[in-house]
Amino acid sequence: MMQPFKRPEPAAAGSFAIDVADLGVQYNLRLTRRTTFRQTLANASRRQHEDRRFWALRHINFRLEHGESLAVIGPNGAGKSTLLQVLAGIIVPSEGTIDVRGNVSSLLILGAGFDQELSGRDNIMLAGAFLGMSHKELMGRIEGIIEFADINQFIDAPIKTYSSGMRARLGFAIATSVDPDVLLIDEVLATGDQAFRDKSKARILEIAANARAIVLVTHDMNWVTEFCNRAMLIEKGTLVAEGDPAEIVAIHQQHSAEAQERVVAQGIFAGAKL
Amino acid sequence: MSTPTRPVAAYRKGATIPGPFGLLKEGIADVASRRRLIGYLARADLRKAGSDTLFGNIWWLLDPLLQMAVYTIVVTVVFARKQEAYPLFVFAAILPWKWFNSAISDTVSSVSGNDKLIKQLKFPKIVLPLAAVVAGISQFIFGLIPLVGMLLLFYPHHLSWTILLIPVVMVVQLFLNLSLGLLFSAINVFFRDISNLSRHVLRLWFYLSPVLYGADTVAKMGGHRFIGQVLVLNPFYPVLNAYRDLIYYGQLPDWGSLGVVLAGGIVATVFAIIVFKRLEPSFAKVL
Repeated sequence: MMQPFKRPEPAAAGSFAIDVADLGVQYNLRLTRRTTFRQTLANASRRQHEDRRFWALRHINFRLEHGESLAVIGPNGAGKSTLLQVLAGIIVPSEGTIDVRGNVSSLLILGAGFDQELSGRDNIMLAGAFLGMSHKELMGRIEGIIEFADINQFIDAPIKTYSSGMRARLGFAIATSVDPDVLLIDEVLATGDQAFRDKSKARILEIAANARAIVLVTHDMNWVTEFCNRAMLIEKGTLVAEGDPAEIVAIHQQHSAEAQERVVAQGIFAGAKL
Repeated sequence: MSTPTRPVAAYRKGATIPGPFGLLKEGIADVASRRRLIGYLARADLRKAGSDTLFGNIWWLLDPLLQMAVYTIVVTVVFARKQEAYPLFVFAAILPWKWFNSAISDTVSSVSGNDKLIKQLKFPKIVLPLAAVVAGISQFIFGLIPLVGMLLLFYPHHLSWTILLIPVVMVVQLFLNLSLGLLFSAINVFFRDISNLSRHVLRLWFYLSPVLYGADTVAKMGGHRFIGQVLVLNPFYPVLNAYRDLIYYGQLPDWGSLGVVLAGGIVATVFAIIVFKRLEPSFAKVL
């Protein structure tokens, strides 16, 4: 049994942070994207029994011990973001189980849940409530969030008047104001100007040092090798390779080079010129 | 490092779905644990509603009054109907109907309109339609201000202590708003037709409910037995009559039929929570 807030204990057997066993996520294309009765009836009348389901992820197994930071890489549409959504508890697996220990903070796309009409301060309160912070917790953090986001005089103006950089900064400041046990990051590192990028990188490293485990989805291979001690390559929803970051990055780069060669060989680029 | 004050959110997720009773329990626990979020969302809704117009939140007072004026002109001038203090008569029913109407039209898109949020944050989705319902309550309460003003200024002879019982009828209506709102908000994720369809169903429902006319008109519809029966089976028939009894006639409502509507509303709400919770896991995938 784990002890919630004593950390970091030595990685004893069974003290994992994330355990994923035979995870599968299935999408039913018949239901996704703006279905109307008409389409449903049309499909029913045509008696289409073609398989409109597909597995975004299947047979994924891994276990993350305390102190590990895992990079998930792979081509677009491989299922990386779906994996993060499952780990964050947003999507329920269709088969298999996931077991996440500790409180989770997900830095998926920043500024989710911002209400354009509301002021920055109201949005902090709203986002905090969505993240499940208590009122007391939130009041203690709000000044720190405003300071970190560096939008002092605009904090009571509606978000719709903010520049995209200001919005991203505020989103980052809110999402990183918690000290999570498990941190999930999806491509949010490149926000704002250089100064803010440095500041946010420092903050992520600080959280990472305190967190039990990190899962990072990125296309920036520098981050993978510099920042993670484990990496995982996902292609078409299945786990292709797992291990040392440098090796996995090499495999990924080799695979994407091969994929590009195939595209060139098929003459798609040549055809596109016409 | 600061010690987090909230309980550790360890979870284990598999493909299993709890039974109806478990879903209901989960739904109620969701609401209890996120009361504050529901409050914030409702307040945000209200603040937005008033922020981009010149009169702001004064529209909450003006809206029902103007609607009352329109129906008074149509019914008493065009159709030349005789009803003593018709403005008060119609206002007593417009107010709760507007509450129901906006509760449904706001909740229908409350889940499907927040697709970004649902795909990026883990939170109980039930807070979204609930916030819309809660925001509706305060709009209704604001509407009571012009009602009391009208009673004091123009119709003091209609003023009765019975208006103090309005909250009781509100509770009955709340379950109707809640059950249909929850149900529609969940189904609209899968079939966007619901939001289009609901507009027309609501309009028909409005004309079939005793808003513009009273219970006596319904009783006289003997020639159309079927329509007459539909009108009386309508849960808004006893609800709107009760409001009108309290506000216009200054008499006690028919508690028996209200009790039946309350029981039906509670059963429907329980059913709606179970359906909502059952569909909830698919929201992030479908949106």
